[in-house]
Amino acid sequence: MRKLFGLLPGPAPVRVLIMIVLSVVLLVALGFLFESAGDLLDNGGTIG
Amino acid sequence: MDSQVAEAEDLLPDPKALNGPAKSMRFVRGAGWTMIGAGTLIIAFLAYQLLFTNLLNSRSQNRAETALEQKFEEARVAPLEPVVLTPTSPPSTVVKEDQEPVPVTTPISFYEEASPELGTAFGRIVIPKIDLDVVIFEGVERNTLKQGPGHMPWTPLPGQAGNAVVSGHRTTYGAPFYDLDVMEPGDEIFVETVIGESTYVVREILIVKPTDVWVTDNRPGAWLTLTTCNPRFSARERLIIVAEMVDGPNFEYAQALLDGVIDVVGS
Repeated sequence: MRKLFGLLPGPAPVRVLIMIVLSVVLLVALGFLFESAGDLLDNGGTIG
Repeated sequence: MDSQVAEAEDLLPDPKALNGPAKSMRFVRGAGWTMIGAGTLIIAFLAYQLLFTNLLNSRSQNRAETALEQKFEEARVAPLEPVVLTPTSPPSTVVKEDQEPVPVTTPISFYEEASPELGTAFGRIVIPKIDLDVVIFEGVERNTLKQGPGHMPWTPLPGQAGNAVVSGHRTTYGAPFYDLDVMEPGDEIFVETVIGESTYVVREILIVKPTDVWVTDNRPGAWLTLTTCNPRFSARERLIIVAEMVDGPNFEYAQALLDGVIDVVGS
């Protein structure tokens, strides 16, 4: 995390903002991934 | 002096020999972190599917319960007026197993229920054998099924004549149909909607492919078909429970339809 923070451009507040945006994007992507993978376990049992 | 330097160099380890272990250490460390990352991801996935989705479902069910109770209370205060039908042919003598003969010489009441809005709670399904008591919703969209079992909108509503189909999650989002595989012919299923409570008895248990849409086809009489994923933790097949109505506000109407002594009413 520190390495990544160090690699980001701009002053500290901009880096913090970028980190927050990246975290949100990562969480949304994870949620999407988990939902899609979850369909393999159980997609609600619908027919057709 | 030169000989001393040469001796000192001889004492130093071979840089090539050092490079080997350093490389393999880097590889081991990299593989270790990758496995830790993958393990964390898998644990997070399982926690999301098996814990977090249940919490979401529990909140939805609690909210829906309150809304449904209000709907049922309104129905108790101002009950639906039945449509009264007169049989067009002589009394029926058809008696099906486990069922009382249906007298069709007297007028028959038919309780029509308007189609609920998609995504709204409209009834409750109770299966004593598997200790299930959940609110059912209209629709089988992904977001609807997250809240609880969903009724396929293109099939009749539970409690009506025809084949009402209800789908539900097996292992996630509250797992309402987790134990559906223990159901046996003869087990009872109760469904309550604004027209009242209907009782169904399990007649058939099937395992089909997810594309076998024929299980949703309409049937003469009044039926309830429950569908869920099979086996547990896999969406490879569908477990189908087919139950027949044996009591309820529209039971006589469904029987009279089956006997052909009245015509279909409503949509």
